[in-house]
Amino acid sequence: MVDNVTITLPSKAEFVSVARLTASVIANTMGFDFEEVEDIKVAVGEACNNAVIHSRSDEYFGINFTVSNGTFVAEIEDKGYGFSLDHYETPDLNNHKENGLGLFIMKSLMDDVQVFTEIGNGTRIVLTKYLE
Amino acid sequence: MSLQIIKQFNEHTIQWEVELVGDADIQTSGRLKDELNAMLDENESNMQLNCERLTYIDSTGLGVLIGILKRVKTKEKNIYIMNAQSNMKKLLSITGLDKIFVIV
Repeated sequence: MVDNVTITLPSKAEFVSVARLTASVIANTMGFDFEEVEDIKVAVGEACNNAVIHSRSDEYFGINFTVSNGTFVAEIEDKGYGFSLDHYETPDLNNHKENGLGLFIMKSLMDDVQVFTEIGNGTRIVLTKYLE
Repeated sequence: MSLQIIKQFNEHTIQWEVELVGDADIQTSGRLKDELNAMLDENESNMQLNCERLTYIDSTGLGVLIGILKRVKTKEKNIYIMNAQSNMKKLLSITGLDKIFVIV
């Protein structure tokens, strides 16, 4: 049994919290514990930050939450500028930069992260967490 | 969603005492950066950040703190993070930032 929740948001900073709250309510309903709900909230927030930061003007981005038998999946998709995964450097945790922690944080907090992106063609990030 | 920045310069300890209330995220981090930098423009001192009521922080908020830390370090000063909630502590640990900020 698979349930889908889909929301479309303007690619603006002030709407990212809508996505975070939606993610946390869904995760909470699924039975994740407090810490896991926080992890999901932050990871979804980071993916949405990415969508907003790489957006063109007047754009929307979409999130699809899939709930199925103990698996939470959030798919965040935008049609913005995309970014180059080839040029992405895993943060050096001994030499912190002000940008670039988002993807690293997503990967640390979720069980699986898939990133599909291409310069000029937008980005899709798929975040998965399993209920123990 | 929103961020309140309560600040006071302590003339005795010669440091900024700042309380952050709410969320340090993509919506509020621009203002956080501007306000912390403005404080340092006034006094390039140590800065104490009381995060007891900081309910949410992500990479955008952490990025601001990293930038501010780099600035104070050029004057051999420090940032002290106080009373971080468990979610903030977890992020500081994952990112290795617990090694460069003084966590109280």
